[in-house]
Amino acid sequence: MLPRRSTLSVVVFLVPPLLLYGIAVLLPIVQSLVLSFFKWDGISDMRFVGLDNYVKMLTRDDVFWTAFGNALGYLVICLVLQLGGALIVASLLTALPRARELVKTIYLLPAVISTVAIALLFQRLYSFEPVGLINQLLSVIGLEQLQTAWLSNVDTVLAAVSIPEGWRFTGLYMLIVYAALMAVPKELEEAARLDGASWWQVFWRIRFPFIRPVWITTTIMATTYALRGFDIPYLLTGGGPGQASELLTTYMYKTAFAHTDYGYASAISVFIVVECLIAVGLIFLLLRRRDNA
Amino acid sequence: MSLRSKHRTALVATVATVALALTGCSSGSSASGPADVDPDGDIVPREISWLLSRPADGGVITAMQQIADEYAESHEGFSLNLITTPDRPSYLQKYETLAAANKLPELFDTDATPFAQKLADSDRMIDVGALLDDLNLTDTYRDAALNYQRFPDGSLYMVPFEYSSEYFWYNTEMFDEAGIEIPETLDDFPAMCEALREQGVTPIALNGQDRWPLERYMAFYPFREAGPEYVQNLATGNASFSDPAGQHAAQWLYDLGQAGCFQKGFSSTGYADAQALFTSGKAAVYNVGTWELSNLATDALDEGVRDDVDFFTLPTIDGAVTADDEFVTTSGIGMAINAKTYDPLVRGFIEFALTRYPEIYASSGALAPTKTPEVTIPDNATDLYTKAVDQAENVGEKIAVPWDTQLDPTTNTRLQQELTLLVQGESTPEQFIATMDKTLSENLDG
Repeated sequence: MLPRRSTLSVVVFLVPPLLLYGIAVLLPIVQSLVLSFFKWDGISDMRFVGLDNYVKMLTRDDVFWTAFGNALGYLVICLVLQLGGALIVASLLTALPRARELVKTIYLLPAVISTVAIALLFQRLYSFEPVGLINQLLSVIGLEQLQTAWLSNVDTVLAAVSIPEGWRFTGLYMLIVYAALMAVPKELEEAARLDGASWWQVFWRIRFPFIRPVWITTTIMATTYALRGFDIPYLLTGGGPGQASELLTTYMYKTAFAHTDYGYASAISVFIVVECLIAVGLIFLLLRRRDNA
Repeated sequence: MSLRSKHRTALVATVATVALALTGCSSGSSASGPADVDPDGDIVPREISWLLSRPADGGVITAMQQIADEYAESHEGFSLNLITTPDRPSYLQKYETLAAANKLPELFDTDATPFAQKLADSDRMIDVGALLDDLNLTDTYRDAALNYQRFPDGSLYMVPFEYSSEYFWYNTEMFDEAGIEIPETLDDFPAMCEALREQGVTPIALNGQDRWPLERYMAFYPFREAGPEYVQNLATGNASFSDPAGQHAAQWLYDLGQAGCFQKGFSSTGYADAQALFTSGKAAVYNVGTWELSNLATDALDEGVRDDVDFFTLPTIDGAVTADDEFVTTSGIGMAINAKTYDPLVRGFIEFALTRYPEIYASSGALAPTKTPEVTIPDNATDLYTKAVDQAENVGEKIAVPWDTQLDPTTNTRLQQELTLLVQGESTPEQFIATMDKTLSENLDG
């Protein structure tokens, strides 16, 4: 229990940021919620339509469901690359005798490059005409039949727009996971090895339980970032071809700022908020439960 | 949480919600009644802004900057702040968001879209038709240039600054090698593409990334079969994609895709890359307007293809209702005048600018939206330059209007997306038509 004076000072210091948070985050969410019950193009008067925007979203709009499916696909690819990649690289890094700092820096580099530069870079890599690096490499190793316009092919485009985002932040999560792995007590691992534990057992019984709190945080970060992913897909394809790489976020953006249908865009944004909350809830539930078991 | 505090929270939330709803409601239309095109009062120089979507080093901006400098000499304190966003989709987002916030500057660019029509209907734009009449300038403009800016009801709220015709530029040597002539009808396109493909060249270079170029192809067949009214009827719900004109257009585009007309991966090819395919001799045909004359008909064009480039205009079809000399001729994005900030200074500057503009602009080698003066052909131009200008000077009355300026934005976006799938062979003409008609009817009520 804090003494009275310091409770007061804690309150004094906490309230302004809380207010700021309320104005910057909660207010727009409430505003979106209100707007989602209206039809509004930004110029004419707002018209109250009740739940029609939600009914349209859930029953009449096939693009919404395509975008939702794509967003899940995007999420899976990003998580596999970011969390899986981070765990593998961090584990290997702990086994690296020297030059760890160099490797860490190299892996972290993509996270500091601007998104637009990354998008331009990958646009060139994926290009078919003029031939980009990936298609050139395929031709060098004799796999010409696999050459394709990665960003124009409806079967490859979703993966093609997800990979840059996954690649970009692998280094960042690697750093976090690496720091957690370094904190695992060496004595425990050594004791386990002396008792004959395999590499997998050491990892699963000792290392992973130790890094679980960090793992939950990174999973939540990566999941919410991926669910809100927007810039790279938007810059690379704008959601195309057709709706093959349309995500909920790009669709919401277009609905608001290209179609000027602010009410419907707000309904989609409310859905994204709910979706993020459910995702975080699920992660807590799944990883916590295993913790108790 | 106790019952009382629960109630209190609910009350606060309700009050906040209602307050938000009310403030939201009140930000709708604000101006009342159309503004006078000749307001009383003295000219008080200040800075005025023009939010525009044109190339930063292009002819329009260069000319207007020069004019603004001249005007500032006689009106101390005046300056023109040009805020350009050449990338059209980004520009439209900026403009529409500013319009929604009622924060548009004195001058802003817009096409005659349904969105702009709403701005005009709520008296937020100056009636340019009345202004040009008042300034005695209406007759100096080409009819086609003004007509392109008009809303479907004939009213005029935008000033044109450009004038250009769109042609199919083609490589004569590639056509000779493939043993083909320029297509007489649109139905000859698939055969043309197949013959060119056999020679190992890309038949048509297409900038798919910007989406409007492919939408032009959608406009061609219906323009020949049903005239410019078809798309206007589509936009108002008096026609559908399943009408013969729409069906034939969808089938034609599907056939173009099946014949391999466009380069593989066209949907992610940008403007510069598509043009480079043609100018570097890798593609045989390229559809673009006379605004590219300085790159296609001067010694700026690669020497390897310079003598092999020619153009043909939009081919006809059997039973066409529009004449051969009628095709896509636009006066570019127009400039609208904000009614809220309109005052004697804005009027004074516009009068000065529109009077000076044609001479300065035409001297740069570009076609002005006015009848005079004649274009100054640049010194480094090829013979094709004059031919292209002459062709643009002699166009018929009807204009193949770009569809992206006619349809509501949601239908337009969906159309652009579905066209890519149709041409790539991912959907059939029947699926395309069903999807488009559903989207159209969903969005008709605006």
